[in-house]
Amino acid sequence: MLFVHETHEVVGLKEDEFETLYRTGWMPMLAEGDDARLLWYMHHAHGSGPAYHVVTITGVRDGAAWERLDERIRTGDLREWMQSVDGCRHDVTAKVMLPVHWSPIQAVDFAEVPTDGREHELHLFMEDTGWPTSSLDEYIQAWDDIYRQPLLAYADDMRAIPIDIQACFQNAHGSSTRREAMLWQWIPDAATVTHLIATDLPIERREPGTYMYDALAFRDQWRSRLLRTAAWSPLY
Amino acid sequence: MPGVLFLHETHLVAGYHEDDFEAAFRDHWMPTLAEDDDARLLWYCNLAHGSTWSYRVVTLTAVRDGAAYERLATRIQRGDLQEWMRALDTTRHDAHAKVLVPLPWSPMADLDLASVPGGGVDRDPVVYMQDTMWPFADKFAEYIEASGSVYSKSLEHRDSGAPRFLEIEAGFQPAFGSHLRREVMLMQRVLDVDRLQGLLMTDIPHEMRAPGTWMHDALALRDKWESVLLRTARWSPAPLEPASVEVA
Repeated sequence: MLFVHETHEVVGLKEDEFETLYRTGWMPMLAEGDDARLLWYMHHAHGSGPAYHVVTITGVRDGAAWERLDERIRTGDLREWMQSVDGCRHDVTAKVMLPVHWSPIQAVDFAEVPTDGREHELHLFMEDTGWPTSSLDEYIQAWDDIYRQPLLAYADDMRAIPIDIQACFQNAHGSSTRREAMLWQWIPDAATVTHLIATDLPIERREPGTYMYDALAFRDQWRSRLLRTAAWSPLY
Repeated sequence: MPGVLFLHETHLVAGYHEDDFEAAFRDHWMPTLAEDDDARLLWYCNLAHGSTWSYRVVTLTAVRDGAAYERLATRIQRGDLQEWMRALDTTRHDAHAKVLVPLPWSPMADLDLASVPGGGVDRDPVVYMQDTMWPFADKFAEYIEASGSVYSKSLEHRDSGAPRFLEIEAGFQPAFGSHLRREVMLMQRVLDVDRLQGLLMTDIPHEMRAPGTWMHDALALRDKWESVLLRTARWSPAPLEPASVEVA
């Protein structure tokens, strides 16, 4: 399965119109077939990054389905809809992603993805994108070995998980930057983030043997984005 | 009907490793792809030193269709090409890539992969001017159309009979889900390299910027573009031309 990740630079005055086009256009139109589903519709939280940025992730069954979708957008029944979307955004930056081998999400059962716009509470996600100095494969493995597994162990001990890694992706060849990978993390309690923002990391959390220290062997450049699901986002 | 996809990659090569990097493409990527019908390396080009960034290489790989693309991406992620890609990464700082589809009027819209020399060629380097344009928000479709019906025709100099300077060998736009949406890219072969000097050293005369000219009228569609001068490696499979000599 392919995952199309898009960052939309939305025209501020048209943010509602843009969202409506996805809610009443993209999501139900994809639901008419089996090729693809809108999975997440997220607002980049104001105050934590660039304004009026929306992130969407669309699941696409396979390469052939992706090609059909591209064709529909360029010359088929989705062309007019896409022109309307273009009228509501300054631009969009996109990439095709593949789940890494240990990603909890490997594929999504389209039959389980809501397409009716049903509403739910808002969820906060931390999207971490990293650019390793090590090999990409080693970086991806390290994320599992020294980050995810300790998080899971901590969650077992505390019976609560501060960061729920739902997926980890790397870019499909030829689609975007090669040496890049992304963690898709649900933050069950937003206080986790505010604590992270307002508190210095004590030295004992940055010493050899800690993730913060040991991960420097793989990268020192990453970017976190705080994304909030729309109330109707199919997945959250 | 499925169409050919084009993987455009800009490689930020480690200077010390430029020969190793080139050898990896020439001796492995190109022949490995030629073992089946999914994909072919088309262009291997160096960005001309002195005209822009140093140690940049541009490659374009043609892929049969979406299914073939997925197979190739999977081979690189966890298949027989994973180790090769990992070794390649040690010869470059990074690579920025995008999946392109041909413009409706592109001369390469119906590329037959069988026409691409899978073993490379040996010929003098060919210079390309790769132009990338970012049309205004509501002018994307119009620009795609005009670049074919007006700009590409103007390069033929049918009215003046002047010798041709550029020839468009391919025109592309990004596929859905890759890179930017509103972008057009042209691979233009420089037919007369000596005339580059005139382009560099001469102001564009007013009559070539007056209403009715492409330089003027296209400003209604875009005013942002970037030209990059590329020089093919001697063995680069593209340009595709009968005169090229395929290496066994």
